[in-house]
Amino acid sequence: MRLFAVGLSHRSAPVELRETVDFARKGLEHALAELSTRGVGRELVVLSTCNRAEIYAVGDTDGTAEHVGRFFSEYHEIPHEHVREHLYVHRGADAARHLFRVAAGLDSLVVGEPQILGQVKAAYAVASDGQFTAALTNRLFHSAFTVGKRVRSETGLGEGAVSVSYAAIALAKKIFGDLRGRSVLILGAGEMAKLTGIHLQAQHVKQIAIASRTLATAQTLAARLDGTAVPWERVDHALSAADIVVTATGASEPVLTRARVGETMRHRRNRPLFVIDIAVPRDVAADVGQLDQVFLYNIDDLRSIVQENLARRGAELARAEAIIDEEVAKYTAWMQSREIVPTVVALRQRFEAIRRAELARLEPKLSGLPPEARARVDEITRLIVEKLLLTPTEQLKAVSDEAMIVAYADALNRLFSLAQDTDRGQVSSEEESEVS
Amino acid sequence: MHLLPLLLYAAAAAAYVAHFAWRDPRVGRLATALLAGGVLAHTFLIGMQTVQAGHAPLVGTSAAISAFVWLLGLSYLYIELTSDERSMGVFVAVLLVALDVIPALDPAVTPRPPVLQSPLFTVHVMSLLFAYASFALACVLGVTYALLFKEIKAKQLGFFYARLPPLATLDLMNSRAITVGWSFLTIGVVVGGIWAWQVKGSSDPRVQAMSLADPKILVALVSWGIYSFALFARKAAGWSGRRAALLSGVAFAVVLLNFVLVGYFLTASHNF
Repeated sequence: MRLFAVGLSHRSAPVELRETVDFARKGLEHALAELSTRGVGRELVVLSTCNRAEIYAVGDTDGTAEHVGRFFSEYHEIPHEHVREHLYVHRGADAARHLFRVAAGLDSLVVGEPQILGQVKAAYAVASDGQFTAALTNRLFHSAFTVGKRVRSETGLGEGAVSVSYAAIALAKKIFGDLRGRSVLILGAGEMAKLTGIHLQAQHVKQIAIASRTLATAQTLAARLDGTAVPWERVDHALSAADIVVTATGASEPVLTRARVGETMRHRRNRPLFVIDIAVPRDVAADVGQLDQVFLYNIDDLRSIVQENLARRGAELARAEAIIDEEVAKYTAWMQSREIVPTVVALRQRFEAIRRAELARLEPKLSGLPPEARARVDEITRLIVEKLLLTPTEQLKAVSDEAMIVAYADALNRLFSLAQDTDRGQVSSEEESEVS
Repeated sequence: MHLLPLLLYAAAAAAYVAHFAWRDPRVGRLATALLAGGVLAHTFLIGMQTVQAGHAPLVGTSAAISAFVWLLGLSYLYIELTSDERSMGVFVAVLLVALDVIPALDPAVTPRPPVLQSPLFTVHVMSLLFAYASFALACVLGVTYALLFKEIKAKQLGFFYARLPPLATLDLMNSRAITVGWSFLTIGVVVGGIWAWQVKGSSDPRVQAMSLADPKILVALVSWGIYSFALFARKAAGWSGRRAALLSGVAFAVVLLNFVLVGYFLTASHNF
């Protein structure tokens, strides 16, 4: 049994294709059921987000990967040539590593973003509820959750805003706490003003006032943001009511001077004021930032915060990769110890069969013995077999190289003619527990 | 036994420092557990002293500081468990250790003289200690506010930015701590006044020294004045944020001065 990860992501495929192969559209259950009826893989998990579509499957042969790859085009009814070149296939330990990197956010568009872990969990939950998962995938996904959690708590990978808008909102939250109940004033009604306004609106601020030199453009943006348009002459009044001011006008001279803001600060009784100046040239005089309780950040300040955060994430990458290495090693060790299990079981069954056969052959000679002595003979022969197999069993379970496992299994199969009575992978849990 | 609370507080302080620096949630929980253990051991200690002496050990500066440390630890634990905000712990725990050194080295319980038998005395001491504990928390909140404020203002988002709660939260908690502290300070001072008036006839020289000229009483009234001003200035003149933070730091310095220095060396009226 082997683990495969087949899929495409923002790294390998353009957005049009990713939209086409979205498995979430018809529901993951549907895709899983379809895969299952086609007999592709024993265990299945489908992960589908706007940045990736991936199928994790456990199959018997390498053909599984090919089947899964074809499923991408067949299920979405598109020519396979369109998909094939964008698909990647990971096998065994590489598949595990891939999933762990995905869960940790290392494979995300914005490295370290936290949503992906939740999406991986949801994808697994759907597959698990539909009983498409079993031992290999269960263990795989739980390890992936561990990786996600460890990377989150042991590294600084998810910390710090990595876009200017988020940096501004993170700052606002650090000053005001929850932004509900806070008032926002936006000066200017251009594209930048609109973008920042949309981000602030998403934080459920109490009200957004928009002032622009032409009232009509302010009204247009106000309609878009559920805000109110303020005539340019009333800016001072709006300023004293606001907690957060975003300036994004096209003015060539500063709109907010120290004297002007200082005056409104007295009206607002020193309540903190967060001024975000995203205009170039700047709308707010630099010395406004010297006023007590005024926090002034311009576009360059925000950009440098973003740069720092990105640099810090880069530095944390190595630590995250180390955690992933560790968990991949744990998972593959477990997976491989399972792979050798059928061989070990077969070997033991073979020895036990020989012992039984010999006892049966000697039955005429043994039949004269008293019951206790016969029990002793049975016991002694059993112990001899146990002792003979003890070291080989331990040695086999310690092998961690996949190629070695195959070689050992092959050799044992030949030496003891095991192949005919075992099907690798078809081990009942009862037999498995015998050797674990 | 009397060293156990100090040791646990010190261990908790070390764990809070480690948690603040590396933000490992397990270390954070350990810190809380150690602090809770310290407060529990301290509760036993005070309980034993009460049983031995037949009254609550509130007489004498060591005993008062011990009770103060206990109240502060208890109040902080309450706040931590209700707000789920652990970043203040490092400051509080260090303060606990610094203060608990005094009673740990001088654990003797002074017998309560007859003049202090009145229940008014117990109310007086307990409300003042609770007020001081609140002021200590306000001071810690003020200090952290100032640290975070400085980072945001200077656009150097770093160590504290990543660790402390928002400025508005710190300011709100500071304001609440001062309101609570001021209420208990007022009760403590008024009850103390009533009690002093009741025992006026006593020949005890310390009772004779109960006047506004006594440094302990004077400084207590000065700190009442400062906190009243802090409350008034916040309501009337918008002295919130940085100014309130600085004020709560200065005011607590006065309280601490009164509590420790004046209490040990200068007062003629309160050296029971």
